Amino acid sequence: MLACLCTVLWHLPAVPALNRTGDPGPGPSIQKTYDLTRYLEHQLRSLAGTYLNYLGPPFNEPDFNPPRLGAETLPRATVNLDVWRSLNDKLRLTQNYEAYSHLLCYLRGLNRQAATAELRRSLAHFCTSLQGLLGSIAGVMAALGYPLPQPLPGTEPTWAPGPAHSDFLQKMDDFWLLKELQTWLWRSAKDFNRLKKKMQPPAAAVTLHLEAHGF
Amino acid sequence: PMALFSVFQTTFLLASLSLRTYQSEVWSEPLPWAPESLKVSINSTRQCLHLQWSVHNLAYHQELKMVFQIEISRIKTSNVIWVEDYSTTVKWNQVLHWSWESKLPLECAKHFLRMRSAVDDAKTPEQRFWSNWSSWEEVDVQNSLGHEPLFVFPKDKLVEEGSNVTICYVSRSQQNNISCYLEGVRMQGEQLGPNVSMFNLNHVAFIRETGTNIYCKVDQGDGIKGIVLFVSKVLEEPKDFSCETQDLMTLNCTWDPGRDTGLLKQLSQSYTLFESFSGKKTLCKHKSWCSWQVAPESQETYNFTLTAENYLRKRSVYLLFNLTHRVHPKAPFNVLFKNVSATNATMTWKVHTIGNYYTLLCQVDLYGEGKVTQHNISVKVDGEHLFGGLEPDTQYMAQVRCANANRFWKWSEWTCQNFTTAEAAPSEAPDVWRNVKSVQGDCVVTLFWKPLSKLQANGKILFYNIVIENLDRSSISKLLSIPAPANGTEVILDQCLYQIHVTANNSVGTSPASVIIVSGDPGNTEVEEERVKGTEDGFSLSWKPQPRNVTGYVVDWCDHPRDPLCDLQWKNLGPNTTSTVVSSGAFRPGVRYNFRIYGISTESVPYLLEKKTGYSQELAPSDNPQVVMSNLTSHSFTLSWKDYSTESQPSFIQGYHVYLKSKAGQCHSGWEKAVLSDDAVCCKYKIDNPKQKTFVVENLQPESFYEFLVTPYTSVGEGPHGAFTKVTTPDEYSPILIRIILPMVFCILLLMIICYLKSQWMKEKCYPDIPDPYKSSVLSLIKSKENPRLTIMNIKDCVPDSIEVLNKQEGTRKSLTETESTKPTYLYLLPTETSYSGPGPCICFENFTYNQAASDSASCGHVPVPPKAPPSQLGLLTSPENLPKSLEKNYMNSLGEIPAGETSLNYVSQLASPTSGDKSSLPTNPPEPALCSEYKMQMAIPLAPWKENWLSSQRIYKTY
Repeated sequence: MLACLCTVLWHLPAVPALNRTGDPGPGPSIQKTYDLTRYLEHQLRSLAGTYLNYLGPPFNEPDFNPPRLGAETLPRATVNLDVWRSLNDKLRLTQNYEAYSHLLCYLRGLNRQAATAELRRSLAHFCTSLQGLLGSIAGVMAALGYPLPQPLPGTEPTWAPGPAHSDFLQKMDDFWLLKELQTWLWRSAKDFNRLKKKMQPPAAAVTLHLEAHGF
Repeated sequence: PMALFSVFQTTFLLASLSLRTYQSEVWSEPLPWAPESLKVSINSTRQCLHLQWSVHNLAYHQELKMVFQIEISRIKTSNVIWVEDYSTTVKWNQVLHWSWESKLPLECAKHFLRMRSAVDDAKTPEQRFWSNWSSWEEVDVQNSLGHEPLFVFPKDKLVEEGSNVTICYVSRSQQNNISCYLEGVRMQGEQLGPNVSMFNLNHVAFIRETGTNIYCKVDQGDGIKGIVLFVSKVLEEPKDFSCETQDLMTLNCTWDPGRDTGLLKQLSQSYTLFESFSGKKTLCKHKSWCSWQVAPESQETYNFTLTAENYLRKRSVYLLFNLTHRVHPKAPFNVLFKNVSATNATMTWKVHTIGNYYTLLCQVDLYGEGKVTQHNISVKVDGEHLFGGLEPDTQYMAQVRCANANRFWKWSEWTCQNFTTAEAAPSEAPDVWRNVKSVQGDCVVTLFWKPLSKLQANGKILFYNIVIENLDRSSISKLLSIPAPANGTEVILDQCLYQIHVTANNSVGTSPASVIIVSGDPGNTEVEEERVKGTEDGFSLSWKPQPRNVTGYVVDWCDHPRDPLCDLQWKNLGPNTTSTVVSSGAFRPGVRYNFRIYGISTESVPYLLEKKTGYSQELAPSDNPQVVMSNLTSHSFTLSWKDYSTESQPSFIQGYHVYLKSKAGQCHSGWEKAVLSDDAVCCKYKIDNPKQKTFVVENLQPESFYEFLVTPYTSVGEGPHGAFTKVTTPDEYSPILIRIILPMVFCILLLMIICYLKSQWMKEKCYPDIPDPYKSSVLSLIKSKENPRLTIMNIKDCVPDSIEVLNKQEGTRKSLTETESTKPTYLYLLPTETSYSGPGPCICFENFTYNQAASDSASCGHVPVPPKAPPSQLGLLTSPENLPKSLEKNYMNSLGEIPAGETSLNYVSQLASPTSGDKSSLPTNPPEPALCSEYKMQMAIPLAPWKENWLSSQRIYKTY
């Protein structure tokens, strides 16, 4: 253990991150984005409760878990763990950005339909926060030098129900929209935590290593 | 007869029925006008079956009245659920339609339909029989549903609150158990077929805008299907539908839509306005009002239909009116005032034009001085009205509104404007009164006047002019100008006759003058003061009518008589008045008010007639007089309260009560027994005269304790029974004793002073320090008894042969050995034995380390005493707790530098040392005092630190 510590100390001056001064890098903005996802997660919990009550049972029942019918256009947050691990930073951020772009658009559609003024206000507030998260992700991508994904013309998602779309299915879609949004926020928190750790200077990693040994 | 009639009727009916059956059997051959080309279609949303058919063989332009009988069966043909006769007139080549709404969603079961026809026309009476039934038309929607495992019907239905709704599900698999829920509550259904169940919902209620959720799910699996049932509250008819115009250009129609149907915006009702004469229709954008553009052509009469409509219901209301009868003008504008004087003002305004030929009726209201006046004026374009009879310097509020003069419908909104009239000269003379005092030969006149009322002032009073005119000398007047809002002034006059004029002035002019004559004689003639009894409403005063001519009377008083500025008030009364009631909000209970009644002579000279005094309400005295006691003897004392003012009390003082408490409790003559509030018994003496302010308490016992209290009494009670003053009468003989004792004390003192001054002489005479052996009585005893030749040796007679000098080192530290080797300071003059044991007398010289008590003891024990320790410290040393500390102190002393002269004091108690360290072994009895012969042992105490000392001392003690 002592030898390990000595070796680490011997090599400390050689660690470039420690010698770096001035530009803080994308670290702080990743941290902010992470914080924002946690805040939105908290905000969504309250909003979803209100909205699902507005839809009525069974949508507001805690164990209600319908099949994901009709909500195929929603970006899916769940992904195989190995696939998730193998994602590179660019792809990870791009997926996040695209998902929230779509979800925000759907959410605005939801806001237009809402009957009560209070619900519209809550939804509008959440949309603004989500817009902020989108901007934050765009900021991280720009800091890392990744281009923003361009939306394909004519593929702008809409939330207008088709003539065959029943009201019950519409409610199911609303339910899934909120559920996917929550899953995406959980996933994003993990994504940004991973990115954050990756971007941290190696010195921090040394400290963690020592702590792990029960120092 | 009734029974007979009944039998007859039944027989007739049976006969007619059998005839009809016969007819149909006979004419069952094909009818030339049978329904053909039957087509059935469905409307799933409305749950409707549409039937379409035609009747052939009709001649061109032929019209025939026909009856079509339609039969509908469900699930199977034999299960007929509906039969209806549909009558209509059939034309050549016409396609006929008929609809039927099913309560059960059409997807839930197969439906069958057939029809037949009959002619019901007067033109062809011979053809009145039914045609053959058409073949059954089957309606099966289930086949076209698709391949999904589960369906729920009807899809997203909209119904009114209180309706009955039937719901069904269709499952593709018979193995699955399916449960259906209404808002999360499981429903009990009715099996329609092997994989179809239906549920009847009766009297559905409104739950929420987003509808009632009904869903079915497969028990084992994740299949779920549902519908939303939108329940609407019943659409109400619009109420208070009304239309009016402000400018004959636009009609504004309003109504009350009634309660909300509780549906989402897209399902909510719409409102349509239809005018039947013009045939125009407009869809209203708002729920409660709508605008309608009046056509340029002169349409006067309008017939409106307002229709509220939603998916389920349509409600209409109607309104027929003449446009000119519904004119609601806009509020007048540009309201102005011109030529505003003190009493007049002209108001002008404009109105919005409605049309060239319309006249408006305008209503003008004027508010001012708490009054309202109303005027109606006819106006074309500009309105004008003159207000007369206004009050000067007054703010008025004018408002105007207009309506159609030809046909009144509604007043416009009010338009308001304020204006103030101009000032005018004050109309009344100020009400003036005076107070006259004579100070050092001068006549000090204080003038008071009451501010003019608003009506009298006619503007803001700026100042008061006072003209003082000497009537005797007819000299030039003196002019004073007092700025407002002063309500009085003081002028000093000599003892002459003066006439004073007071006028009030505003910016416009001067009021009439108020004249008052102040005579040289202030007129303070001695008038008897009378008491009056006041009430809550005031004081009722009356006076004798005056024989001489008076122009009136004046009553004056002070509202606050206790204040230096007493706030003089007065009241003017007519010449025929001899009584009045003076009331004031300032009157308080327990305050004495003085009233003066003056008569005003024809020369305007006031002269005092009467004086009255009283209380609006008398209160019991709150304070007792400050009593001074004097002339205290063993049998009496005098009480005096001369400073007590009867005038400033809260009621008329009628006398005083003197209370006296004594231990004896007996009351002498003139006193009576009284029980106080604290049940204490005492004697009471009543003094009837309020002016008597001294009292002598007599018949007291010497050397006795008394308590007294003097309290005033009034008609409403006496003063508080507060603290009694205590007094003890002196001893009867004490004055005599004092006369003897005082000189005696003086003599003794004198003697003592003399003794003190001559103390040295006395000492020498009575008890000298060195007794003179010649004077000793022992000598005389020896002389007389033993040897008469013995005599006292005189020092002068001795011749010394040698001198021994004892060298004693002082101020140096002594070692233990040195201490040991030091010779004792005792010189034995009498022979003693070395091994002395047992107590015995010995003569010793005084050593500083021994106190007098020790040396006086019979055993002459050397009880050691700490040097210079006070007696109290001695006691402390013996207490076990203090021992170590004291010891330490002692040892420290012995360790430290010993100052010169204290060598002999360096002594450590040999008694204390053994007990110091071991408290448990503390001897209860102090050790016997050491004898002189053993004295040396005490010097063996080593000088060591405290703890070691303790051990050492113990050791020493043991050896000892």
